[in-house]
Amino acid sequence: MSNESIDRSTLPIRRPPFKGVVKETLDGSQPDWDHVAPIRAPDGAPNVLLVMTDDAGFGNPSGFGGPVRTATLDRLAAGGLSYNRFHTTALCSPTRAALMTGRNHHAVGYGMVGEFAGPFPGYTAMIPKDCQPFAKTLQGNGYSTACFGKWHLTPDSQQGLGGPFDRWPNALGFDYFWGFLGGESGQFDPMLIENNRAIGVPAEDDFYLPDAMAAKTIEWLHGVRAHDASKPWFAYFAPGASHAPHQVEAEWADRYKGAFDQGWDKLREETFERQKQRGVIPADAELTPRPDAMPAWDSLSETQRRLYARQMEVYAGYSENADWNIGRVIDAIEEMGELDNTLVIYIWGDNGASLEGSLTGTFNEAAMMNGVPLTDEQQLQLVLKWGGLDAWGSDMMAPHYSAAWAWAGNCPFQWGKQVASHLGGTRDPMVVHWPQGIREQGGLRSQFTHVNDIGPTILVAAGVPQPTHIDGVEQQPMHGTSFIYTLDDADAPERHTQQYFEILGNRGMYKDGWWLSMMMPRTPWKIDPETLKQFAPGVWDPDSDPAELYYLPDDYTQANDLSAEHPEKVAQLRDLFWQEARRNQVPPLLGGLSGFFGIHPPAPAQSEFTYYGDVQNVAPGTVPPIYNHSYTISAELEIPQGGAEGVIVAEADHLGGFALFVADGKLKHTYSFVGVKEFRQESESDLPTGRVNVRMEFAADAPKPATGGEVTLFVNDEPVGGGRMEYTVPVRFSGYAGMDIGRDNGMPVDRSYADKSPFAFTGTVKKVVFDVNPHLTEASEHDLAEHANWAHTAHAITA
Amino acid sequence: MSDNPKDVLIAAYLIEDLAKKDFDALVKLAENKTIAVEGVVLVRKDSDGEVHVTEAGDHLGRKGLKVGGGVGLVVGLLAPPLLATTAVGAAAGGVASKFAKHRLESGIGEKMDAALPPGSGGVLAVYDADGASAVENALANAVKTSVARIDGASAKELKAGLAEAQAGMAG
Repeated sequence: MSNESIDRSTLPIRRPPFKGVVKETLDGSQPDWDHVAPIRAPDGAPNVLLVMTDDAGFGNPSGFGGPVRTATLDRLAAGGLSYNRFHTTALCSPTRAALMTGRNHHAVGYGMVGEFAGPFPGYTAMIPKDCQPFAKTLQGNGYSTACFGKWHLTPDSQQGLGGPFDRWPNALGFDYFWGFLGGESGQFDPMLIENNRAIGVPAEDDFYLPDAMAAKTIEWLHGVRAHDASKPWFAYFAPGASHAPHQVEAEWADRYKGAFDQGWDKLREETFERQKQRGVIPADAELTPRPDAMPAWDSLSETQRRLYARQMEVYAGYSENADWNIGRVIDAIEEMGELDNTLVIYIWGDNGASLEGSLTGTFNEAAMMNGVPLTDEQQLQLVLKWGGLDAWGSDMMAPHYSAAWAWAGNCPFQWGKQVASHLGGTRDPMVVHWPQGIREQGGLRSQFTHVNDIGPTILVAAGVPQPTHIDGVEQQPMHGTSFIYTLDDADAPERHTQQYFEILGNRGMYKDGWWLSMMMPRTPWKIDPETLKQFAPGVWDPDSDPAELYYLPDDYTQANDLSAEHPEKVAQLRDLFWQEARRNQVPPLLGGLSGFFGIHPPAPAQSEFTYYGDVQNVAPGTVPPIYNHSYTISAELEIPQGGAEGVIVAEADHLGGFALFVADGKLKHTYSFVGVKEFRQESESDLPTGRVNVRMEFAADAPKPATGGEVTLFVNDEPVGGGRMEYTVPVRFSGYAGMDIGRDNGMPVDRSYADKSPFAFTGTVKKVVFDVNPHLTEASEHDLAEHANWAHTAHAITA
Repeated sequence: MSDNPKDVLIAAYLIEDLAKKDFDALVKLAENKTIAVEGVVLVRKDSDGEVHVTEAGDHLGRKGLKVGGGVGLVVGLLAPPLLATTAVGAAAGGVASKFAKHRLESGIGEKMDAALPPGSGGVLAVYDADGASAVENALANAVKTSVARIDGASAKELKAGLAEAQAGMAG
């Protein structure tokens, strides 16, 4: 059967009917080799390399006038096309959901990030079976498929080895996955997943995730080609860069020494000028002003300026390294002789650059995630504590730069990540390179394009239809529009003429060049209850939020608000927004924040968690919920004659986490309050040998957020030591570091055993049991459920 | 040297040359006699936690590494292992133990460890407590400051011990 005669509208593609002859014996039987041949992609179908970086702004890469040297992006742009009106959703998971499925993010349950599966259809964080990713379509049509790096489309609570696995990459169209499931990762100590298995933190001292991602991708490409000389492949390469933690070797950051000493105000002006010179923005574009919420560079102290300049040097080095690693993959494809027929789509950022580091930036993004209020002075002191400027970007910190750098990086637009109402949150650079499919080299395209267009475009390029059914489930049509029509026609009228935007209550409605912006009066780094109560049910009327109206063909940057001149257009677009919102499951607005407003999930039934001694790499979203109340950790040990040492159980690292361990013969407990303060307790006497039960009890002052309390250590039920912890972590120790039994993988919780990491226990840990509900009253349970849900949501906002 | 109580200051910096700037400002205060300064020392704590003296200034605003008892007082209280290389030489066992006692009683040692983490720059100073606000103004670039107080008589006694030790070495 020829490729062309295959019915590809239903997946899996049915095997062709047997056209040979079968007799009683081979005598007279006629074979049909088509019957056993694998499905082949359409003749000439291109390979596809899809790249999406993270938390990166329109004004960052050099190819778009920015200060970050992006040799790969620029090279591809010179040989292909740059798109200067490409849009994301303004938040990580929602963009990735739209990218993968070709549908609007709420329509596939991703109004919010994957860490928060909510109780409304637009916020389930579970891609529906009737909206399968286009990767599944390529896979079913004869492509080899793989995903490397950040996934962020598996609900937080489903990332453990108990599954379910139907929202892991292997189930959603990828033959191979190597990366991390959550929204962020340490770059030096990631907790990695390979297919459906946690492979944990790499042991190599010089491990660096983006480098390893490129190596893995190249290895996979070589493997595919070794197996089949012509099978097309689809590789999705999604670095964690440039999401926090901003971590990169100093040599990369040092390439930018002094490059940002002029500050964010001047940088933005310089970038704007370069953007005009390069022609990536119109000559009549206006530079939007700095919001009042951000300080002028000139108003800062010398120490602040020097620290902040280093923050941006690190971010720039981190971003350049990611681009360099993408270049390694491109080079490998070229070396294989396949670049000409590889469609490369390189998207710089899944949203605008992130404002979530607050105005000062932070040494540890978990401090922000936990709502720990740190003054400017404290932030500086904590940078000092963890190694000073030289350590910013190293594994001693999990840093995020100042919001004002993000604003500068989103030049020439207003705002940034989370702000779906404005282009700083939504508009990102895109470059498309495909020598066999694009005639023009170095061209610019300005048709409106959206992340949900990527899937439809790739399917058209591959020559395969959107399937009507996958695995027996009827598929909803994709919402995006293929932009293949733009490849050879810069002036083609745009076909994606209408698009709603909504993230965390910030709304936008685009229609035929007009854009209505409706931003909630909340700056993206403010998630405290006081700020949010103005948006409570019955208090907030979204239609009373200020509305700004822009006509983008004349006003590229959203600099001139026309709402007062065109009230009828405002009303029309507002109505259209609600129509689109209802069609795509956007309501209830703030559905992803329901936990803030008293809508709580059923109380968890499980209060005791048992881990046997060989359990490692427990995903951070699935560790026992020990926050904000009393809890007990007990362990059964076997200690040989002569004693033992090592970690019994540890979660996360020195920037937030706990470890129960044995050192110098003593039972010890260390608790890091997001790197701000450490609490340590130890037994007064040495541990006995033989079978030993040890226990750490935390008696909270009250079940309340960040409660203090008393720690008591027990050996064989006898109290042996203890002490007070003034504060505890209210939300989560880490966005990416996991829990281990019998060792402390990755960065250690207590630096005292750093030179022995992972400090594996030299006796035997038979099991560790967490009791997270030992002393609660019913009222306390209710209060805690309320807080836990708030906390969970707060984490999700910053993921 | 007056009998006034003395403030023992540790100021920590993210950026070494800004520590130097504040150091110079403090020495200037001494030179101008705006406040009565016993001594000012510019230090750097390396990644292993070892403190190195970069520069020192005395009560007259003179700079150098071995500029007299006031500097010795600062070093003895805040970084006693450096006494040998700055003020009194290696044979100052007796005086070092006196400093150790004061460090313990005043909590200065603990403050020093907490205030000046490895990898940071610092300014250490001892001055008359009534000059505190002038000093605070001079330390425009400090990220963190920590102050302990000792009485004037103790300071005098320690300084005398230093002088004695130095004389012993000379003789």
